[in-house]
Amino acid sequence: MELDDLKQSWQEADRKLDAGLRLNTVRLYVTTLKKAETSLRRLSWFLWLDLLIDIPLVVLLGSFIADHIAEPRFVLPAVLLDLFVIALMGLGIRQLVALGETDPGEPVVTLQKRMESLRIERLRAVKLTLLASPLIWIPMLIVGLKGFLGVDAYAIFDHTWLAANVILGLAVIPLAVWISRRYADRMGRSPLVQRIMRDLAGANLNAAQNFLGTLARFEEEGA
Amino acid sequence: MTTTPTRQDQFLKLLDEHKKIVYKVASSYCRNPADRPDLEQEIVAQLWRSFDRYDEAYRFSTWMYRIALNVAISFYRTETRRSRDTVAAGDSLLEIAAEGPEEPDENLQVLRELIAKLDELDRALVILYLDGNRYDTIAEILGISETNVGTKIGRIKQKLRRDFARTA
Repeated sequence: MELDDLKQSWQEADRKLDAGLRLNTVRLYVTTLKKAETSLRRLSWFLWLDLLIDIPLVVLLGSFIADHIAEPRFVLPAVLLDLFVIALMGLGIRQLVALGETDPGEPVVTLQKRMESLRIERLRAVKLTLLASPLIWIPMLIVGLKGFLGVDAYAIFDHTWLAANVILGLAVIPLAVWISRRYADRMGRSPLVQRIMRDLAGANLNAAQNFLGTLARFEEEGA
Repeated sequence: MTTTPTRQDQFLKLLDEHKKIVYKVASSYCRNPADRPDLEQEIVAQLWRSFDRYDEAYRFSTWMYRIALNVAISFYRTETRRSRDTVAAGDSLLEIAAEGPEEPDENLQVLRELIAKLDELDRALVILYLDGNRYDTIAEILGISETNVGTKIGRIKQKLRRDFARTA
């Protein structure tokens, strides 16, 4: 059977479809035209929300650093946290800019390349957050206790304990990556857990990069 | 820009004239038929949100195909990743009358199944071809060269011929 033999049948079915298909105008007015929420718009809200949380954090951390500039034991963890939040903010701003340049009416290959690059940025931000989490909680503890309660963490926790936690945090990162790579598909039925594990393992990032490769080949092949 | 009722009426008229594009693209890109209403909704919402940017220098169908395919490919890729997470079907935006267009043609049914096995980009190409679009229009919608369209269609035809032979 040839594709062209079926083209006529396809178009005949199309004409019947045209005659039989009707728009559900009630639903169209009530849900689609009024709300008109799209996944691109939801992503944009999410990124703005993220930015609105990050900006005051950078300001607070900056203020904390200025207040304790003569105390390296507080300045160092605060600078680490600040750099982490600034890095996340930078990734968020880049995504917002990319999203602003996105027009869904662009040719398919052009837009899909743009969307996949955007997805890669997002996955990198998620991976950075997941990987940094075991490391940043000790600086967060030190800065949080001092900043909010005026308590010196170095005075109430044993230095060895603090150092051991930082080392443990460092050790946990490769272990978490190894576990997620090996057991991502078996861990938990929740799609969210699965997604976090795949993000951590870099599987979603690899898939996005592979799709970018597919798009490039699709664009070039036979050109 | 404020959207006046006239603009909305214009959109609805054009949407009604070309609604089968939404239906066909949504049907072709949903692995789970229960997700089709969600995809239709997403496509129409995106069309409406982007309508102010519609350049009348292009045919409406060309612009609509671009948006529908772009939304569907993104949806399909998300759906593939979350394929275990089934969404309950809502009221459909597009309904088929009782005397629906379900074709008795067995070959057409097989063709739809074979198209569903193609990757998301080749699938777009075949749908556009079967819908009777010219190579230059397909090239404009997909953003590839006309020569590339011809080469790919030739290759897909060969593949489908082989696959048909296997199913026969």
